[in-house]
Amino acid sequence: MKIKIISILTILLGLLGCDPEKGALYKQRMQDQQQERATQVNADEEYVMVTTIVNFPMYVNHDQAAFQRWGIERGVKTSILGPSEWDVQAQIATIEQVIGTRPTGLLINGTDPAIAGAINRAVEAGIPTVVYDSDVPNSKRHAFLGTDWYQIGKLQGEAMAELIGGSGKVAYMGILGMTNMEAGFQGLLDVFADYPQIEVVGKYDDASNVETAARITSDILSAHPDLAGICGFDAMSGPGIGLAVKEAGKAGKVKVTTVDWEPEHLRLVEQGVIDVLIGQKRELFTWYGAQFLYDMVHDTNQLSANDNRAGITNVPRTVNTGLLRITKENIDLFLEDEI
Amino acid sequence: MKKDKITQLLQDRVFTLTVTIALLFVVCSLIWPDKFPTFENISLVMLNLSIESIVAVGMMLLLISGMFDLSVGSVVAFAGSIAAYFMYWYGMYVPVAILVGLGFAGLIGLTNGFFVAKVGINPLIQTLAMMGIVRGLALMIAGAGIQNLPETFNALGQTKILGLQTPVWFMLLIVGIFSLLVSRTVFFRQYYYIGGNEKAARLSGIRVDRVKIIGFVLTSLLAGAAGILLSSRLGAALATSGRGMELRVITAVILGGASLLGGQGKIIGALLGTIFMGLVSNIMILARVSGYWQEIVLGLILILAVAVDVLAQKRGGVPPREYVRKSSEVTPPKVEA
Amino acid sequence: MTLPRLHIKNISKSFPGVKALVQVSLDIKKGEVHAICGENGAGKSTLMNILSGNLQADEGAIILNNEEVKINSQLEAQSLGISIVYQERSLVESLSVAENIFTTNKPRNRWGIIDYRKLYQETQSLLDRLQLSDIRPKMQLEHLSAAKQQMVEIAKALSQNPRILILDEPTASITETETHILFRIIQDLKADGVSVIYISHRMREIFEIADQVTVLKDGKYQGTMDVNATDVDEIIRLMVGRKLVKQDYLSDEQDEIVMEVKELSSYRFRGVSFKLKKGEILALAGLVGAGRTEVARTIMGADPLLSGEIMLEGSKVKINHPRTATNLGIGYLPEERKSNGLFLDMSVEDNIIAACLSHAAENGFIQPARVKKIAQELVQKLRIITPSTRQKVNNLSGGNQQKVVLAKWLLRQPKVFMVDEPTHGVDVGAKAEIYSILKELTHQGVSILLISSELPEVLAISDRILVMWNGQITAELSRDEASEEEIMHYASGTKIMFT
Repeated sequence: MKIKIISILTILLGLLGCDPEKGALYKQRMQDQQQERATQVNADEEYVMVTTIVNFPMYVNHDQAAFQRWGIERGVKTSILGPSEWDVQAQIATIEQVIGTRPTGLLINGTDPAIAGAINRAVEAGIPTVVYDSDVPNSKRHAFLGTDWYQIGKLQGEAMAELIGGSGKVAYMGILGMTNMEAGFQGLLDVFADYPQIEVVGKYDDASNVETAARITSDILSAHPDLAGICGFDAMSGPGIGLAVKEAGKAGKVKVTTVDWEPEHLRLVEQGVIDVLIGQKRELFTWYGAQFLYDMVHDTNQLSANDNRAGITNVPRTVNTGLLRITKENIDLFLEDEI
Repeated sequence: MKKDKITQLLQDRVFTLTVTIALLFVVCSLIWPDKFPTFENISLVMLNLSIESIVAVGMMLLLISGMFDLSVGSVVAFAGSIAAYFMYWYGMYVPVAILVGLGFAGLIGLTNGFFVAKVGINPLIQTLAMMGIVRGLALMIAGAGIQNLPETFNALGQTKILGLQTPVWFMLLIVGIFSLLVSRTVFFRQYYYIGGNEKAARLSGIRVDRVKIIGFVLTSLLAGAAGILLSSRLGAALATSGRGMELRVITAVILGGASLLGGQGKIIGALLGTIFMGLVSNIMILARVSGYWQEIVLGLILILAVAVDVLAQKRGGVPPREYVRKSSEVTPPKVEA
Repeated sequence: MTLPRLHIKNISKSFPGVKALVQVSLDIKKGEVHAICGENGAGKSTLMNILSGNLQADEGAIILNNEEVKINSQLEAQSLGISIVYQERSLVESLSVAENIFTTNKPRNRWGIIDYRKLYQETQSLLDRLQLSDIRPKMQLEHLSAAKQQMVEIAKALSQNPRILILDEPTASITETETHILFRIIQDLKADGVSVIYISHRMREIFEIADQVTVLKDGKYQGTMDVNATDVDEIIRLMVGRKLVKQDYLSDEQDEIVMEVKELSSYRFRGVSFKLKKGEILALAGLVGAGRTEVARTIMGADPLLSGEIMLEGSKVKINHPRTATNLGIGYLPEERKSNGLFLDMSVEDNIIAACLSHAAENGFIQPARVKKIAQELVQKLRIITPSTRQKVNNLSGGNQQKVVLAKWLLRQPKVFMVDEPTHGVDVGAKAEIYSILKELTHQGVSILLISSELPEVLAISDRILVMWNGQITAELSRDEASEEEIMHYASGTKIMFT
């Protein structure tokens, strides 16, 4: 008897307690329906994105969302493939196997120079191939859209130097073992080299994990009670550093600069925990990247009688999409009205 | 009589897996006739599973004797990294660097074997610890990856013979040799005895400790070789390679007929297991299914494979071999004092 | 006349191939300490398992306080007031003393959560009552000695407030001190009207603490005596006295000494010395726990030797690993074949070649045809009943399984063959065959060290008998001197031939 009452109440609660139209599920479904309508237009033209960590929120919300939106607007099919972990080898395997299915164009997340071989295979097979996020310069990719990581480091360095008045102890963290991030570290260190009063106390690997970033930050704060600032280089650094700094009660006293501008990061800027965010314009990577593919396929800007035969790439070869700088001053423009 | 034959066959994992792979092949060829059964596609599938297959050979050997090794993924990264390190920074000759890489891999295996066999540490704990240590070492040596490796080195993994890239040939060679040795030699037969009943093996005069240590050394050597081959294929050493490989390899090997209890399995089964997993991955890509579904599907397949095995044994009237050791035996209490 | 509290009526129980209990009846009175004696295999443990709910009798009845009861589980037994303290412990090392004592009956508070304060209090008062004051409730079990752990086991049974307490060889792993405490506890229980069933073959203790003693032999009831009205000799006679059919016996014993061990000592035995002649069957008799298997395992190199010498054919040898032993020509048929001797999931052939792989190989490669041939020869020779040599040994009967293990060692052609309980769990027919196999071996000059708890077996086939008790050799008897009673005396420690 009890069970019956409880189950009825639960169902009622479920029905009355939700407003489906406000839920993300509803919005997603609307989007999917739109896409389906679109793909009915031209299912033969398929653009495939191959990335790693295929369901990473930042990738999903920025790169993939823009890519899919582009596909709907264009009326072509878009597919997103890749391993669910950071597994470069699996990404390579995916690229190679997709080549055999002859997609119209390939949009590839440049995770590591090692994927050059796979990219070349695609190009040699005659598939327009665009790399985004980080470049794979030793490959035959048709175009690259992304950010200059060295710049990210440089901007953070300059911001941090200003925030701490040119002197003090700083530490930085990111994913160790990634080429582009190492370039970012270099940019940071090159700036600090000009400030003899700034002492870099450590370089840390947060393995792209919030808890690890938080733990490392706590440890650094304990080891150096007079720490002036921390710089973060991967998407998880910000929330991790922010959490630890707040818990130590040092919000505002320790300056924090980091990358990316997900809702978590923005909130921390609003709260005054993070001082500067250097953001990438990821939507531009993939929207324009896909557009380049389309233009190559449809010869939108034909430069010769047959660009393909002439070996001419009729889209820009390298595009630096630039960086965003978000601080408390302009934070309002970035805070969306969320659900 | 016929029922027995069928039941027997159903219990032979090599048989059931081969049939399944064949069926899968046929079905996929029908669904994607121009994309699946092409030489291009199949050779790529083989290429991409070659590295894991080499590691799987060692893992199967260990599982036969009732052990396993979680550090293989890290050894793959480390061996490639250290060989690349010496070649790049010190201009070491390619063959020497390869020997150095293999040497270190062997040392890691020796350490694992010593602590498990002589000191008595549980293999799970020992190899788990080693996994972390070796991964850390690999990151230290080759932090951001080492590119621009010597051409002769890259040729090792990038040359094509008869249309198939060298890693595939290495894989076939290694699987072939080990298949023969493990199924027919006196030395490797000992692994089956140890896996079947370690106490009885020891009392029968088998040098259990020595055999176990050699098992770990071989596994690490194979992982090291795979790692060097991988670096050669990519033309770069990535310190992050091999993450998660150990669990995938163990899955493949169990699919291929090994039992966690030991005493079961054939080397060829390891290859069949990796082929099966490679095919599943390929199908996902052809069907444009997202990466995370793969893990779900593989997990389900693993359960299915083991369930079929247990059911087949029950049908044969034999109490099923347990996949996890039960704490009490199903015999009446000792009738003595 | 007071009616007995517990009346066991015509209980029988069989296991595949062996009749453990045959129509056993006995009475246990209130407030009585009742000892039960019998040699290995007499049925004592089986009877106790039936009383405590772990086994069900095939026929017969248990009548408790004038009502017939069916005891289907240990919980039911406990609710009827029957508690048992086993030989093999049922404790969890990583938990505290208190948690071990009160496993299912921990005190709980209003919300149903364990009241730890009350738990420790009750444990402490129980321990105080038992005057085990140096054991604290919060102590972790693994930090206690084996003797103290046994006391905790006893406390655990007592925490259930039984009316009938069964103790199965309680003094096997405790020292003098604890034994005194145990006896005092038993006296207290008696005074409270609790009945105590005391299983033991330690005569001294039985005469010290028991009121009545019942003897079982070969699963049958032999008699109940008042302790004051009997003596050790009578009990032992009831335990083992059988009509012995002394078979025609031909000894293959030669004069040459094949193996000699001097003052072997290790963890479970000390000062073991004996000589083994070529072609001789030397028996090592004794009760469970006497240390015989340990001696054999040490000679085999499976367990470490702390001091002493082993001489083989006149020269001293050092054996660190079974491999060394097998290379020197020593073989060992282990006591528990399923866990120590057989590879259950492997075939008959694979089991047979296990100790001698190179025999079936050429250049390191195993030749399947040769394996089959070797296996078939031995299967024929030993009359192993199996559909084929590829059959998994798990499917064979106990007797045939034992023959497979024998075959494994026969292939090695050892000079010294130690067999440990070779006919344990083997049916009568296979038993006889195993004896003839052993005799055939001695005929060929092989020396056999026979470890056995089956006295008829020992007397039937051995040339000489050594008896062990408590880790030492207490007697050496020739075939003619020996009798079951004699051996039993030496095995129980009531008689010692040498100091």
